[in-house]
Amino acid sequence: MRKIVTGLPAWLVQRVSAVFMVLFILFLLFHFLLDPPRSYQAWHGWMREPGVSAATLVFFAALFLHTWVGVRDVAMDYVHPIALRVSALALLGFSLMAIAAWVVRILLMGHG
Amino acid sequence: MRLSIFRFNPEQDEKPYMQDYEIDLEPTDRMLLDVIMRLKVQDDTLTFRKSCREGVCGSDAMNINGRNGLACITLVSELKEPVELRPLPSFPVIRDLVVDMTQFFKQYHSIKPYVINNEPAPEKERLQSPEDREKLNGLYECILCGCCTSQCPSSWWNPDKFVGPAGLLQAYRFIIDSRDQATQERLDDLNDPYRLFRCRSIMNCTEVCPKGLAPSRAIEKMVIVYLMQGVLAFIYGHQADS
Repeated sequence: MRKIVTGLPAWLVQRVSAVFMVLFILFLLFHFLLDPPRSYQAWHGWMREPGVSAATLVFFAALFLHTWVGVRDVAMDYVHPIALRVSALALLGFSLMAIAAWVVRILLMGHG
Repeated sequence: MRLSIFRFNPEQDEKPYMQDYEIDLEPTDRMLLDVIMRLKVQDDTLTFRKSCREGVCGSDAMNINGRNGLACITLVSELKEPVELRPLPSFPVIRDLVVDMTQFFKQYHSIKPYVINNEPAPEKERLQSPEDREKLNGLYECILCGCCTSQCPSSWWNPDKFVGPAGLLQAYRFIIDSRDQATQERLDDLNDPYRLFRCRSIMNCTEVCPKGLAPSRAIEKMVIVYLMQGVLAFIYGHQADS
């Protein structure tokens, strides 16, 4: 019988998200080094471009997934009492979802 | 030579302590085991395991100056004094340098370390091509000394759930064996969040293996097999849908 929870998805998420984040950070770095925005409006306009906006959204999704898998792994290693582990993971999950909602609000509505 | 050795006799001692020894080296003391065997003559309460004395049985695995290794193949000339000897980290201590390896072998047995082949046995032996046999090199040589698993943080935190590098090296040894017919069952058995995927690629296992084997490479190859299977399932799953 196939298992419902396997180990591969988390392993894959951790690596794919890491690669995307590195590429995105390098992209940001090069952009700000080679063509820095002259004003807040210029930066804001650049951020509102669909490609940049979408890549930023994916970056944050990668960041949250990476954090979830990473901290979950730490909890699996160190937090053995099941009630404590579930509480810690629930707290982490809700915190990440709240921050994610805030990020979406900033990126899609243009303000915090 | 000065040595500081972990001592603990549960029948007498409340807690472990380090005992200092000093011994004059003789020309025949080439390996660390030679020295501690002569120490044993001086102090017969000192307890450790040993058998083959040539790095084949894996009995005298211990922590030597902070690093796991076999006393019988550790050159005395390369050791920094005082030589600190401790039992294998994370394994329960039975006495002095002797540890309880029950959990280690339980994990080893859990991967079914034998060829599973339901076809009738041939008259002589199950043959394989030289190329297929070649694939077992670097895997079958494991002597199960426990140096790798004892030095693996993932095994420290989840010794009951994570198979550990020694067991996983052997799992791959049978997965890759052309004579074995239980490849998929073996892969399915290991594919959960703990048994294989607790490995965090720290690579202490490969670093300390006294036989120069690479359990981390075997684990990596198994992950690649899962990835390939996942990709194929994705492609063929979608083809079947359309």
